[in-house]
Amino acid sequence: MELDMIVNEVEYHLDIDPRLRLLDVLRDYLKLTGTKEGCGEGECGACTVIMDDLAVNSCLVLAHQARGKRIITIEALEKDGELDSLQKAFIDHGAVQCGYCTPGMLMSCKALLIKNPNPTEEEIRIAIEGNLCRCTGYTKIIRAVQEAAAQK
Amino acid sequence: MAAMVVKTPSTIDELLACMKDADENTYYISGGTDFMIKLRKNRIYSGTIIDLKGIPALRYIKKENGIIRIGGNTTFTEIVGNKIMQKHAACVVQAASQIGSTQIRNAATIGGNVANAFAGADSIPALMVLDAKVVVLKSDGESYEKDMDGIVLGAGQNSLGHDEVIVEIQIPVLDEGYRTAFAKIGSRSRVTIAKLNMAAVVKCRGDGSTIEEARIVLGALGPKAFRSGKAEEVLVGRTISKDLCMAFQNALTAQVDESIASRSSWAYKREAVKGLADEVFDKLFQDVLTGGRA
Repeated sequence: MELDMIVNEVEYHLDIDPRLRLLDVLRDYLKLTGTKEGCGEGECGACTVIMDDLAVNSCLVLAHQARGKRIITIEALEKDGELDSLQKAFIDHGAVQCGYCTPGMLMSCKALLIKNPNPTEEEIRIAIEGNLCRCTGYTKIIRAVQEAAAQK
Repeated sequence: MAAMVVKTPSTIDELLACMKDADENTYYISGGTDFMIKLRKNRIYSGTIIDLKGIPALRYIKKENGIIRIGGNTTFTEIVGNKIMQKHAACVVQAASQIGSTQIRNAATIGGNVANAFAGADSIPALMVLDAKVVVLKSDGESYEKDMDGIVLGAGQNSLGHDEVIVEIQIPVLDEGYRTAFAKIGSRSRVTIAKLNMAAVVKCRGDGSTIEEARIVLGALGPKAFRSGKAEEVLVGRTISKDLCMAFQNALTAQVDESIASRSSWAYKREAVKGLADEVFDKLFQDVLTGGRA
């Protein structure tokens, strides 16, 4: 079945199996493998991408539901070789260890900052409540988001 | 075996055309957050998926003639941020804000949550306690209204036919003097599936001290949410106090004993419901208990 969507500002015309998830299309068709699959049931947030400015679990979106939508994945945060301020803040604060949750975590935080450039700590916690990290813990991540927000 | 087909109507007319051929292998999806898991877990490889989410006409919240109308495609994020809902349906906002995670609330919709009819769904008790009505569209273009209890049959079952879709939820606006609250208990404080949930509506006398009317709905206690007469009885006509909260807790424990005494979760839930009762009572009457209305 044909599917048109915009991923990281690029228009795609695809012909895909109708059962596929947005996650499968991003990873297997577009080779945007920065988006990770963790639990596959909306629990861990590793697959988080931004769809029309909102964070969603790409494992719970039928690919065809993304028709005509604007999708942003982790690959688009870096611009011209320069990391996004949020990515830099994650590095500076040691908010990355094994890194598996990081793309999803960054996309949840990015979606928050798009909507709310000056979030409170509570708002940051709610934004990442659907992202599990099993090594760094959340405090360093929250500090990194606060710093990225302060820089703007 | 026929392959899977996805139909993507963008208007009600297109939807009606899609619904005409619907059969037992037709799956209506809105947010899709529950369906995508079922699609894979139940190994569904054929049939027709009709995606309702692409119909903007089913996404709205408006207040008209004493009724709040919520389009079936309205997401929980939209409900949480909506001023009409915050003002007139606090228990639904409280329930919506505790559904899944930010990512889930951005996708999941109220129509989908009701149709999914999960026993632990958070929106269902909150809507039931407000006497919400569900508007169902049929493939012939006619629609009918049914109360929540008629739509939700329990444990993943709804009353909808193959060619019927939830298009709107209607909540009657309560008069001044009513208070509502929702609370849930799960295995953790956030992003959790309810082990128990509860929604309450009470009407207090003008000075706020005595309860004149009470509706209490319990969810995740058996296959579908239901009103607890035991818990309601104990509140009506009584003065708001700490003692009343204890009586409320005990009535709910008795309700758990009556409802699920043979279940393995009984021993836990008969105690846990007291904490839930305490939270609901506090949300309803915090200002009265601490003196002076907020």
